[in-house]
Amino acid sequence: MKPQFPVKKTLASLGIPLLATASLFYHGAGVAAGSINALVWCDHTDPGFIQPFEEANDVKVNLKEFEGTGAALSILEQSRPGDWDVLIIDGVDVPALAKDGLLASVPEDALPIADIWPEVLLEQNHKIDGKWYGMTELFGYNTIAYNKDKVDAADMLDMTSMWSGKYKDRIAVYDWHTPMIGLVAMGLGKKTAELTEADLPEIKEALFKLKDNASQFTDVVASQTALATGEVDILFGGGEWLTGVLSQEMPNLDWVLPKQGGLMWSQSVTMLADAKNPDMALKFMQYILSPEGQAALATSSCYWAMPANMKTGSALNDQQKGALRWDQQKEYLGNAQLYPSVSPELNEKMEDLWTEMLQQ
Amino acid sequence: MSAQSSWKRWRLVLPALLWTVAFFIVPLGFMVVMSLWHRIGGKIVATWNFENYIEFFTKPHLVKALLNSLEIGLTVTVISIFLAYPLAWIIAYRVPERWQRTALLLAILPFWTSYVVRSYAWLLVLAKQGIVNSFLLDIGIIAEPLAIASSRYATIIGFVHFFVMLLTLTIYANLRQLSPNYARAAADLGAGPLRTFWHIILPLTLPGVMVGGFLTFVLCVGDYITPKILGGSNELVLPQVIMLQIGRRADFPNAAAMSIILMLVVTAAYVLCARWLKMERS
Amino acid sequence: MHGVRRHVVNTLSAFYAVLIYGFIFLPVGVLVLFSFQDSRLPIMPFKGPTLKWYEAVLSDSRLTDSMINSFIVAMGSSVVAVLLGFLAAFGLARYVLPARGLQRALLTAPLTVSYLIIGLGLLIMFNAMGVPRSLWTIGIGHVVINTPLCFAIIYSQFGDHQVNIERAAHDLGASEWQTLWLVTAPMMMPSILASFFLALTFSWDEFIISFLLSRFDVTLPVEIWGLLRSGLNPKTNAAGSMVFLISIVLLVLAELLVFRRFNGRVNRK
Repeated sequence: MKPQFPVKKTLASLGIPLLATASLFYHGAGVAAGSINALVWCDHTDPGFIQPFEEANDVKVNLKEFEGTGAALSILEQSRPGDWDVLIIDGVDVPALAKDGLLASVPEDALPIADIWPEVLLEQNHKIDGKWYGMTELFGYNTIAYNKDKVDAADMLDMTSMWSGKYKDRIAVYDWHTPMIGLVAMGLGKKTAELTEADLPEIKEALFKLKDNASQFTDVVASQTALATGEVDILFGGGEWLTGVLSQEMPNLDWVLPKQGGLMWSQSVTMLADAKNPDMALKFMQYILSPEGQAALATSSCYWAMPANMKTGSALNDQQKGALRWDQQKEYLGNAQLYPSVSPELNEKMEDLWTEMLQQ
Repeated sequence: MSAQSSWKRWRLVLPALLWTVAFFIVPLGFMVVMSLWHRIGGKIVATWNFENYIEFFTKPHLVKALLNSLEIGLTVTVISIFLAYPLAWIIAYRVPERWQRTALLLAILPFWTSYVVRSYAWLLVLAKQGIVNSFLLDIGIIAEPLAIASSRYATIIGFVHFFVMLLTLTIYANLRQLSPNYARAAADLGAGPLRTFWHIILPLTLPGVMVGGFLTFVLCVGDYITPKILGGSNELVLPQVIMLQIGRRADFPNAAAMSIILMLVVTAAYVLCARWLKMERS
Repeated sequence: MHGVRRHVVNTLSAFYAVLIYGFIFLPVGVLVLFSFQDSRLPIMPFKGPTLKWYEAVLSDSRLTDSMINSFIVAMGSSVVAVLLGFLAAFGLARYVLPARGLQRALLTAPLTVSYLIIGLGLLIMFNAMGVPRSLWTIGIGHVVINTPLCFAIIYSQFGDHQVNIERAAHDLGASEWQTLWLVTAPMMMPSILASFFLALTFSWDEFIISFLLSRFDVTLPVEIWGLLRSGLNPKTNAAGSMVFLISIVLLVLAELLVFRRFNGRVNRK
């Protein structure tokens, strides 16, 4: 995972004299005594979340936000040891990072393990050889979000309506191959955990049908815009993370888990093995997992998500709980599957399939 | 020429030359090297072969991305030139001298709003319930709202918006550099305004238009934001595919190979363009 | 007859100009309008006006920091680009240098390469050399894209009559540097300013190079892109409108103070 660019050697042997010039621009990571560096999703940049921690601990939290797991891994890959203290990353990516020695283990008693929803604890991700390398902080679903004034809510309970033709050109699809291929696989009755290359032809067929039915494959803002302007009525792949933040202004926006289930996403908070400020990093992790930090994160101005700590309920109001489906979580968690976690080779094939479908 | 005076002459050009070599030529060299390597199992391995290039041309959906880029680039360039030329002409010949710069500034100003935000604003304008569709419905040209947003049309409109401004500036500068004597002479010889324009002004400004058109093409073909936001990913252009390689997989070798393919295609276009210009001139 | 045709041409011209300006201002109008919208949703009917999104921009230190960063990078890179471009244009226009055509080609070559490719090349090089990404690396990238532009604009304006004035200055005993700064630079000021403003505009709104080459400190377009990855955020409309309004004020000032002055000077010559 760490940068293994043989370029350096090649360069030295070529004797390119630029290194001297370049070193003029060389700066360290800028780690002052009272600061930590965190690589995060945008919800963690909400001042309402970050300021209380900074003030309480008299520390500066340098935040770099990424917009996708791949982007985060790519930033990490290009960083040098000690650049980062805290990393927020998808739950499924934790084991690989831990096995590569990138993550620090965290003492079990420092984590509120008993307060975390058991279904999202994901021990297989976080606990390796008896040591904890991270903890789920937030979770939610990639499923079906829709405008309940415009579509028949009963249809939304069957995922195959997405490509049956009934809602042709009224569907926007979230443009990310991993969850969408997982969702489509679930719609076909497959288990995301057991996906193999042999499943791809059938998925491809459904994807191509989906392409026929969809009017666009978009990012979050474009799909929110499309839902708000009536350009589309359904967002396939959406969930509370997309509708929650709009719930007050667009009460007609809803989301549901169809009978085939939904895909659960989760993000975990981890500490880097070579963190320069491990004590403060641990404090930050604990703040993130406390009901106070959880509530601020769950309803951040960036996107909403279910807090992993069950005690957070007391820090949320009824409207917030409603938009997050706080009361249905037991049932939803029972019908959710995890993101497909596949080999890099299969992932590459899935990405190619997705690109091919878009070009169709 | 003595060595000393030679240095004296060189020293003015040298900083710019060094900068270009260090931060443009050398990085391209790095990219060429990278494109011959491979990302295997999460690590970049120095394999030294052309596999990335071969892979690109054996996958039809990747080649299609290149073709999409070229088609869109060409369409945008042509439309922008046709829209910008009359405006530049109007500003240069119909607007009183002291208002000309104000007119140009007025055309540039909107581009100080952020590019990303502006592109999302186009989504609103072009939506089914957006301004354009409401207007067309009101005046009765169409009966059903057009699905323009999230399509190639939207991408083209977004691009044309930016490049009309850029080309208006370029063409205006060219028109202003023409000596009014040409037109006067033509008029003296009995040519009407249309013939003067067609036979004198247009040919004289054509090289400038070609340069502006080429710049438009380069910027357009290499842009990621406009097709990403406005195109709705109903089709991909090459920069989108390149960014996918970097963003999700950190596959620099593949991204480098695709970039070089894009660069070579654009260079070919440039050579053709330059040839054509030379032929016109001789 | 002549008068009628003239009238028709003028009417058509005015109509066309209004149409194109309408097209140019359309998305910007929408953007400014919704920056005052009293709702997260950018849809009609218009609710408002409100200034809350502007307040949100000003109280978001990441957003204001990124504006300052953008300003620093745009100013710094434009100054360097103009300086490099001006010196090179002067050198090439005044002296007979070997391989002049090749030098010109090399200097303008970055214009023929997409920003994405320039950014990616720099990223790969900086990675390989272990240079961390920062505002410096963004600035370097912006100088690469803007130097050719400044060079081309200034070079095209070097004419024979400047040579005569420079020669006169030289005959009167001015050194080469004195001539350059006291005679040539002021004489070339209109094209220097024009290339500076163009470089400023390009750097200010440049996304892909800044995106690839930034780390903690990002420029405004990158920050806005990040904000818009995860959901509708009217703050970004307000940020875009603010920049627009500030630039109007700056341009009006520039128009009144700088251009008028140089215009007068050019006309008097």
